[in-house]
Amino acid sequence: MRKTSLLVCLLVSFLFSFSQPSKLPEVDKSPMDVSYYPNNYPILKIQNKATEPLVARILYSRPQKQGRKIFGELVEYGNVWRLGANEATEIEFYKDVKIGGKKVPKGRYTLYAIVSVESMSMLFEKSTTGISLIIAWEQVKVTLPITL
Amino acid sequence: MKKNLLAVLLPVIFFSCKEPEKKPAGNDIPTKTDATVKVLPPVSNYTNPDRSPMDMVYFPTDYPLLKMTGKTTTLPLMRIIYSRPQKQGRQIFGGLVQYDVPWRLGANESTEIEFFSPATVAGKTVKPGRYILYCIPQETKWTFVLNSNLYSWGLEQNRQKDLMQFEVPVEKTSLAIEYFTIACEKKSDKSTALIFLWDDVKAKLPVSF
Repeated sequence: MRKTSLLVCLLVSFLFSFSQPSKLPEVDKSPMDVSYYPNNYPILKIQNKATEPLVARILYSRPQKQGRKIFGELVEYGNVWRLGANEATEIEFYKDVKIGGKKVPKGRYTLYAIVSVESMSMLFEKSTTGISLIIAWEQVKVTLPITL
Repeated sequence: MKKNLLAVLLPVIFFSCKEPEKKPAGNDIPTKTDATVKVLPPVSNYTNPDRSPMDMVYFPTDYPLLKMTGKTTTLPLMRIIYSRPQKQGRQIFGGLVQYDVPWRLGANESTEIEFFSPATVAGKTVKPGRYILYCIPQETKWTFVLNSNLYSWGLEQNRQKDLMQFEVPVEKTSLAIEYFTIACEKKSDKSTALIFLWDDVKAKLPVSF
């Protein structure tokens, strides 16, 4: 009798586990975030305080330091880094811009960086969405000095 | 999106971007500090992590992973960007989210939906492009609205820019869902139901391509 009820219990919990929304996406460890130029553009927009149209938007994910050494270790010097976590970082320009003197036409790009001790090279890959492995066909490469 | 899977696969595929083993409580600020380096707390609006973290939904569901592994070379069919508020013991529908009042389907910015191919949403044809998606919830049905007022904060909707509406019934779930969740329930390679879940309410919006 006990065995039977145990079996029934197991069976019920087995079936139950499948009926639950177990596949619902969890909250990411490295949460996604967005930056705009002009800063806080969406709030300015609904307050009618935006003095110029949206120029740029960046979608990225935010990993945490958690006591680790980041540059030179977790993010190795000389390697391509996705500037965040999860999906590749996306940058969109709503008009043609100049970065470090180089012209970047309006459009959506995947943004990567190659980090070294004194500078960061930013790679703008013409892209749409999602992760793409780096195969060094960057369209625009800009090296920016790191100053603190 | 299947970030769990990503978290498992990425350290293998991607050089050095290991996810931490320990799961922090969502968007909590890390408290552990380096022995030698003083870790600055978030100091401005630019560095504060959001209470309602942003997330992204794709159809096909694992699109970024499919793209990275070379299993697709085309665009996704659809992408949604939204933020995920939490229930935190509150009654959501008919309480925090009032009936008959437009709701941004999330938190912070308006929820954005982008169709990369012509779509059929609840029987109506939608052109490819980027839209704002919000809803007007009622007890037994939700009215979803596509709107063209892109890149706006979600507290106010410009109703002049409404484009289309879709009315769907809602269901009650047996368990309350803590985080507002949007996900795709795949029907076929070209057809899905967008599900919207929060508290004990579930709404389904059928989308096909």
